[in-house]
Amino acid sequence: MTAASAPVRERPPRGRVHRGRVNTRRLAPYLFLLPNMLIFAVFTIWPALNGFNLSFYDSSNGRTFKPVGTGNYSAILSDEEFWAVVRHTLVYTVGFVLISTVLAMALALMINAQRRGRGAISAAYFLPIVISPVVVGIVWRAAFDRERGMVNQGLSAVGLGEPGWLVEPSLAMVAIIVVGTWIHLGFYAMILMSGLQSIDGSLYEAARIDGTTTWQAIRLITMPLLRPTLMVVVILATIAGFQSFDFIFTLTGGGPVSATTLMVQYIYENGFSYPIEYGLASAAAVILFVVVFMVTFANYVLGRRSDSI
Amino acid sequence: MSTTLTAADTASRAPERKPSTWTSMSGRPPSTSTVVRTTLLVAGALAVVAPLVWAALSSFKSAEELAQTPPTLWPHNPTVDNYTSGLQAFDFARYLTNSVIVTVAATVLTLAINSMAAYALAKFNFRGRTVFFLITLATIMIPLQVILLPVYQVVSSLGLTNSLLGLIIPPAATPTGVFLLRQYMLTLPDEMIEAARVDGAGEWAIFWRIILPLSRPALAVVAIFSVIWRWNDFLWPLIVAQDESKQTIPVAIARFASQQAIPFNQILAVSVVTIVRIVVIFLLLQRQIIAGLSQGAIK
Repeated sequence: MTAASAPVRERPPRGRVHRGRVNTRRLAPYLFLLPNMLIFAVFTIWPALNGFNLSFYDSSNGRTFKPVGTGNYSAILSDEEFWAVVRHTLVYTVGFVLISTVLAMALALMINAQRRGRGAISAAYFLPIVISPVVVGIVWRAAFDRERGMVNQGLSAVGLGEPGWLVEPSLAMVAIIVVGTWIHLGFYAMILMSGLQSIDGSLYEAARIDGTTTWQAIRLITMPLLRPTLMVVVILATIAGFQSFDFIFTLTGGGPVSATTLMVQYIYENGFSYPIEYGLASAAAVILFVVVFMVTFANYVLGRRSDSI
Repeated sequence: MSTTLTAADTASRAPERKPSTWTSMSGRPPSTSTVVRTTLLVAGALAVVAPLVWAALSSFKSAEELAQTPPTLWPHNPTVDNYTSGLQAFDFARYLTNSVIVTVAATVLTLAINSMAAYALAKFNFRGRTVFFLITLATIMIPLQVILLPVYQVVSSLGLTNSLLGLIIPPAATPTGVFLLRQYMLTLPDEMIEAARVDGAGEWAIFWRIILPLSRPALAVVAIFSVIWRWNDFLWPLIVAQDESKQTIPVAIARFASQQAIPFNQILAVSVVTIVRIVVIFLLLQRQIIAGLSQGAIK
């Protein structure tokens, strides 16, 4: 709030622009920027730069550090656990991105065509994104419970048995993809909806006069014009996939036997819970940083383009 | 573009997808595709809310009824025991207080500093403006997850661990907020600001009395973002507030749910208590929230 006090001093109105007034005006933008930039600098920019530096140190308690050069990177690259985490993160992210974008696309097209009950339908699909992911994980863990859970009660009612969703590694991976999709589906569909609504309606009118079918209209008009928005969704989903942590933490806890431990949980556990492996955590964080930064950068570039269309 | 389309398939049905100027629907019976689409959409919507409804219904069942085969849908002997014993084991009031303090304070701080920064970037010509704007954009690309360890070091060397301030201040300078507000403020006319300067208004007065009131729609969007983010934040409070007395609801409930001794139905009851608030707020403000979040994501 430092900017609050400084510029106000030049209060009394004058006929001509006063010299002090000009100085205040020159100073004002910096003062307006100051609080926000100070927090950026201290809590984002400095840590981001220092993160690279930290990845050349190791610590087993988070307080005393010893320089190890590139030792953390060579350690992490030969760490089986790390590669398992990379594999799980990739499987999860690819599965999540594919399924959630395809479903969101179908959903957006359907809701956009729907007239009756559109608001209520949109709200139902959108709801999960506003719920705390931690609680989402807890509710779904109960829903996936082997005997008492909603999912298996439904499956056994139609004679499909009672699979151990959270006890079998591959099923647990399916479960976190399902829940990840459940959380984001409506949100991505609404983003696509706003893209759909910006398409000029007269194109469809003209196509209809020319006798195109619904599918042709989707393929030849909607898809090409929606591509920038679709790219934004794909990239948002990719970033969300790489960063997934909270709902998985309460849904599977990363198990069974670390089958659903993804990158962020690996960083968290090595960095904050005993035994602390600070070096591994900070090297993994830098690797994730580079991946996320590249994907987000692509988002920015493509997002700009989508604005100009 | 329309010239490349051929009249291949005119007989069956006219295209369902239409722009928003649809008017000729009334009076005709719904077409097959409308029925199919509506059925799919409604069935999907029910499937999406099903786990939440199931959790809410289960939270009123006794342990015996939950284990019963075949399972009951509606609780036969509805009981609030899960709520009374669940809330006894879980100090809801304390975590709620912490969550409310953090959410409100962080949101007010975010609105204040984001709008000030946005105003500078939108309406002043000054040396370094582009650099500051690029820095803001660059920080969008640095999510907490990738700077977890170094940012924790900063917070701990400032003595902000295990304090609510440590939960409030670091996430308050949201780059998304600055960006959204700046885009909005760019559309406000410069003449207004010039006129106010000629009338002798100070820079702060112009910001406070003219710019902020006019930016209300954008401020509302940023406020919605901020409230949802801060209310649901997990990773940051998990590492900063390791002391129980400073924990917010998500951290506390994650810890609560991980205790093997707590029965399933009590965990559901506590979950329902935590969800119900945000669901009610969402239902009241759904239009603004949906528009705000999905449009904010593209920009």
